[in-house]
Amino acid sequence: MRVTVDHDRCEGHGLCTQAAPTVFSFDDEGDLAIAYADTDLPDDLVTAAREAVDVCPVAALRTG
Amino acid sequence: MRNAAHAPAYRQDMFSRSGIRDPYPHYARLRELGPVVWLSRQRVYALPRYAECRAVLRDDTTFASGHGVALNPLTNRLSRGTTLNSDGADHERRRRLLAHRLTPKALRSMSDTVDEKARAVVDAAVARRHVDGVRDLAMALPMAVVPDLVGWPEDGREHLLAWAGATFDSLGPLNHQWLRTFPAALSMLRFSRRVVRDRSVLAGSMGEDVLRAADAGTLPHAECSALMIDYLAPSLDTTVSAISSALHLFATHPEQWQTLREDPTLVPNALNEVVRLESPLRAFSRKAVADADVGGVRIPRGSRVLVVYASANRDEREWDDPDAFDITRDVNRHLGFGYGTHGCAGQGLARLESQAILRELAARVERIELAGQPTRAVNNIIHRHDQLPLELTPA
Repeated sequence: MRVTVDHDRCEGHGLCTQAAPTVFSFDDEGDLAIAYADTDLPDDLVTAAREAVDVCPVAALRTG
Repeated sequence: MRNAAHAPAYRQDMFSRSGIRDPYPHYARLRELGPVVWLSRQRVYALPRYAECRAVLRDDTTFASGHGVALNPLTNRLSRGTTLNSDGADHERRRRLLAHRLTPKALRSMSDTVDEKARAVVDAAVARRHVDGVRDLAMALPMAVVPDLVGWPEDGREHLLAWAGATFDSLGPLNHQWLRTFPAALSMLRFSRRVVRDRSVLAGSMGEDVLRAADAGTLPHAECSALMIDYLAPSLDTTVSAISSALHLFATHPEQWQTLREDPTLVPNALNEVVRLESPLRAFSRKAVADADVGGVRIPRGSRVLVVYASANRDEREWDDPDAFDITRDVNRHLGFGYGTHGCAGQGLARLESQAILRELAARVERIELAGQPTRAVNNIIHRHDQLPLELTPA
């Protein structure tokens, strides 16, 4: 499973960084950065990543 | 509008005075009736359960906001030009114009100021010991922060809370409450038009951004006043509601207050739990612009559906022990700030303000106790206390 962010929609509320801190973080500019952006997530992070996608308050995250 | 979907009908009025004061029994009965319930009084389909609310908020192409999100056609016409009442590219353009000022990233620079103001508010409250949780704690911070940010001139501020509350009332059905406060909602609209005409917004504010965008031709001049209200009205009552509900819940659940004091990193989660359990906004509507399936019920094109956030947030299908206040529960997926494209643009600011007050109180106050009978404000859409007498025992 891969996870992507729509940067136009992301407003930086940061709930995903709480749900899956090893996948989502903010860079120094305060923009969302995704570890494993161009590759499939390791199996042990899939559940947390799904949860993060689920709690995004502006629906800016997608799985695929 | 008639009940063409043949959904179970609910004949009681969740917008009556008693329904406003104590809405939860209404929500429980609605959830029991089904995923889609016909409100005979308002002639709309209510969605009282979590799954359908979330699905409808996510599908903003089928369930449009551009025909208004109120429960009456008059307000829906008057709120044209707002971010709240628009779809697609129009919505995106309006939201981007101002929402970027409210993102957590943009607010980082404000966080010290907000903390400082929160400290002053809590200082004064602790010194008095007996306070009104609404006036002395919940109102102080939003009133100190939001009007400056939006750039509302100093001389129009004494009416702001009443006007903002009336703006929310006007989003409800055309009932007695609507009639009672509609003149105040119109006053806000008129004042806002004058502010735009006289260009009396504060320098460097969001209001100035709006005027500049209009000057640059990226925004019609006629939309300016609506956009000012769009960002000002929802930033006051809602946060006042969240902070006063938090105070009330902690006063009536002292063990939760002790848990918070022992681990202040729970503050963000605690605030989400407050917004879940006592959602500041009861409900907004959407219009189905195509035939749709909602929870197995066929909703015909042109129907209006009511997304009852406050009920979804207590849906026993989604939450364990939904009426319990538990600041440690997994709560982030609540719908108290809405969800999706129209998710609350000011939630970063609301979190900043509410969390600052809670953190200060947790550090300084050993016990919060009720010192009298709390009263509810009467409003079609906003769910909040009017008065909340408290005694604060300093740590």
